[in-house]
Amino acid sequence: MDVMVIVNLLRLLLPLLYAVLVVMYGVTFFQTSPRLERTKHPALIAVIVLHLSYLTARTIAFDHPPITSLFEIMTMLACCMGLAYLYVEFRTHVQNTGLFVLSLALIFQTISSLFIRDLLVIPEYLHSLVLGFHVSTALLGYTALSLAAVYGLLYLMLYHEIKSSRFGMIYSRLPNLETLESMSHRSEVFGFVLLTLAILIGVIWLPVVFKDISYLDPKLIGTIAIWILYALALMAKRKGGWQGRKTMIVSLVGFAFVFLSMIIVNVYLSSFHTFH
Amino acid sequence: MNLFSIGISHHTAPVDVREHMYVSADELPRVLAQLKERLFSECMLVSTCNRTELYGILQDPSVADREIIAALLTVKGAAETVHPDHFTSHHAGAALHHLFRVSAGVDSMVIGDIQILNQVKEAFQTARDAGSLGPVMNRLMQASLHVGKRVRTETTICEGAVSVSYAAVELASKIFADLSRKTALLIGAGETGELTLKHLVGKGIGKVVVANRTRSRADELVAQLGGEAIDYEQMETGLRTSDIVITSVNSPTYVVQSEHVHQVMRQRGNNPLFIIDIGVPRNVNPAAKKIENVFLYDIDALSAIVDRNLQKRTAAMPAVTRIIREEMVEFFRWHKSLEVAPTIQEFRNTLETIRQDEVQKHINRFTAEDRELVELVTRRIVNKILHQPLITLKQGAENGGGEAETTLRIKVLRELFGMTKHTEHDG
Repeated sequence: MDVMVIVNLLRLLLPLLYAVLVVMYGVTFFQTSPRLERTKHPALIAVIVLHLSYLTARTIAFDHPPITSLFEIMTMLACCMGLAYLYVEFRTHVQNTGLFVLSLALIFQTISSLFIRDLLVIPEYLHSLVLGFHVSTALLGYTALSLAAVYGLLYLMLYHEIKSSRFGMIYSRLPNLETLESMSHRSEVFGFVLLTLAILIGVIWLPVVFKDISYLDPKLIGTIAIWILYALALMAKRKGGWQGRKTMIVSLVGFAFVFLSMIIVNVYLSSFHTFH
Repeated sequence: MNLFSIGISHHTAPVDVREHMYVSADELPRVLAQLKERLFSECMLVSTCNRTELYGILQDPSVADREIIAALLTVKGAAETVHPDHFTSHHAGAALHHLFRVSAGVDSMVIGDIQILNQVKEAFQTARDAGSLGPVMNRLMQASLHVGKRVRTETTICEGAVSVSYAAVELASKIFADLSRKTALLIGAGETGELTLKHLVGKGIGKVVVANRTRSRADELVAQLGGEAIDYEQMETGLRTSDIVITSVNSPTYVVQSEHVHQVMRQRGNNPLFIIDIGVPRNVNPAAKKIENVFLYDIDALSAIVDRNLQKRTAAMPAVTRIIREEMVEFFRWHKSLEVAPTIQEFRNTLETIRQDEVQKHINRFTAEDRELVELVTRRIVNKILHQPLITLKQGAENGGGEAETTLRIKVLRELFGMTKHTEHDG
């Protein structure tokens, strides 16, 4: 079969598959269904395998990894979210949060599938190994920050339910506040470290590869602003006695900035970072 | 099916009557042995603080309830104190239904109290060890435990705390991840407060601190639960280092002011503080509820949780009823397979299938005129083999009394000839 057929088929199929996953995790969140409970894990693995195949197929078809445009990055992010959640499922005792993490993956993948373009002519520098490191650390970092935001949001929902004595589904299905907070915090630290690495690689190594690099690049400035925000938040937690609700709000605000900067910089501003 | 059940429970008798019928684990083998000898071919007895119930297969199905009650009272030596009116009995399907309801926790004092399942399990195990279970009761044991297991995993009947003290503990485990790294402080020593602390200890709370106006009472409690007693005046220090605070003080004014809590929160680096105010009138100024990372609950809020949980449990009843019905159908299907007639038919069919297969395979080796003879001879061999086992089975069934023996024979026959498949149980 032609690799382009695979690419197009999976491009259309992936949002549907993520939707199916979200429905499965949604149903098991709201009611007990032993059958779905058993099938959802293999289904998640299957979707991730298909997603990885899609990314591989794209790389082969267009002769570059899918990291050159906003919508290529988004499908990468969706895949990373899926993988990160798979890790959570296998390595931690945190249950029942798949609905929320995978919903985010569904949103990313849907946007990507709708708007992604098939780019055949690519600049030579996309084959640089250093750029590969730069992009993968940034991607993983953003994935971790998204995860921090999801768990932050869940924390706030549960906090609200406990505080107001209105115990609904959130209360009965989610893990405890302390666990959610530590999940969010750990993701945030992980994301922050990776983002720091991405910025360092970018600032130190990329000028060696690209002669026309500018330090006033909007994406660079945006990313550094986001980095400072997270640095302050982590500091406030460590030194300023910020605990619980406040830090979780920050994780959400930080994510909102990440999302906005990604859209604004890539869609409205011209930058060497957007490539096209 | 001659299954029979009789007993007293919280539905039929007050505790001062029930306690006379309580059979301890030590007594149980003797009681079972005596009852089995007198009345039953198989039997089991479950005895808890809420019920003492006897289940069994009667040797003589026509024996009257009062005779069984009399036997039970005699064995227990309670004929003087317990009136037969306190007993209720169930027969056949109704007895099965009752046992399944008990195992599912829906006959308990508090609906969904699944602790009964362990007690039923132990009762069956003791009966098995004492040699008073036969094939039917053994199967019944599997089926009852399966009902309990299904109810626990497939429905929400045992979810949610249904007492104020458990509701508090449940909330604590929704706030904190690892109770073994947390400290609980009990201020005052009211009954519910103590109970809550005990539940927390049961859940593995890391450290216990008790502050009470009467220091000796605090010392007493600490001696019982482990931990540390502090002076009532040191309460504020206690607040600073504790994560869970239970207040249960008899005081007309607030014992803890919201300014206190504010100050304490700053000192403890805003780490979450869970306050359970069980005092009436309340011990903690409700304004403290607004402080970030403070979770303050009073007795009404906790009672509201309990009410809601009870409603939720009741709402799960239809699902439990469905499971019980399914398991009853399954049990009856199995039981039917133990009847003599269908077994004989099936045994015949099994052997006949083997005969036909073998004859078919080799028939071509015989000349046309011999083939009829082969049919005749093989048929006669099979009939000869069948003859004695079938006579024994039929006689056993017709003689009545030896039902347990017949059941056992059928069970063995089915197992030996691989006729068990369609009645396999998945639990």
